Amino acid sequence: FRFKESLAEDLRRADLVISHAGAGSCLETLEEGKPLIVVINEKLMNNHQLELAKQLHRDGHVFCCNCSTLVETLQSMDLSTLKPFPPGQPEKFALFLDKVFGF
Amino acid sequence: TGGHTTEILRLLSCLSESYSPRHYVFADSDKMSEAKICSFEQKRAETFSNSQFTLDRIPRSREVRQSWTSSVVTTVYSILYSLPLTYKLKPDLILCNGPGTCVPVCISALLLGLLGIKRAIIVYVESICRVETLSLSGKILYYFSDYFIVQWPDLKKKYPKSVYLGRIV
Repeated sequence: FRFKESLAEDLRRADLVISHAGAGSCLETLEEGKPLIVVINEKLMNNHQLELAKQLHRDGHVFCCNCSTLVETLQSMDLSTLKPFPPGQPEKFALFLDKVFGF
Repeated sequence: TGGHTTEILRLLSCLSESYSPRHYVFADSDKMSEAKICSFEQKRAETFSNSQFTLDRIPRSREVRQSWTSSVVTTVYSILYSLPLTYKLKPDLILCNGPGTCVPVCISALLLGLLGIKRAIIVYVESICRVETLSLSGKILYYFSDYFIVQWPDLKKKYPKSVYLGRIV
């Protein structure tokens, strides 16, 4: 398919996700606890989109590769080396804002 | 737009009803945010019975990678459009997270503050996608916001006046 309203169902059923480095795709996948390989195409992408993918890779949450190294990555990857991705904490933001306003 | 809306709704998820009514302002070209917002507010209304919110659209100030000169024109147009809206809403708090749409609203709020009409507190939360560099909106609002929140330590180092709370979305 070209476009779906929500990939949530597919994500839940997947064992492995291979995605571009879009932030939404990466974060949604990691939050579902699925192993993720991020394929980077430096020519097509906005530079800033790479920042998150690189950081996630540095922190050990995803595998990174480009189109030509994808097969090799699939063959040699060890999913057990991926670190779980803890969820964000909007409670901290709420606490911060409450302090600002004196609530 | 898209990711920004998702992020801002997550930021709102833990806020108490003191932060009410909520006025959502987004770009007229944005097709998906309205549905996401309504869905969020519907869920919220299940817990907080007096939950109130409104939706307003403004012209998008800048398309991705739009040229500098045309961006200035479209941003000025967006400011002229958002000035009466901001005046009408007179917000106590403006919470924004990066789309070009937020700049005209913040500038309007600053003008209203300078004119002594209404002083809003501007809280800017840079997107989680921004690990090493700020978005253009971020670069502008770093100087004009009351609180500038970043989600990665590298940015806190580069922009010392920012607030770092870790990942909050």
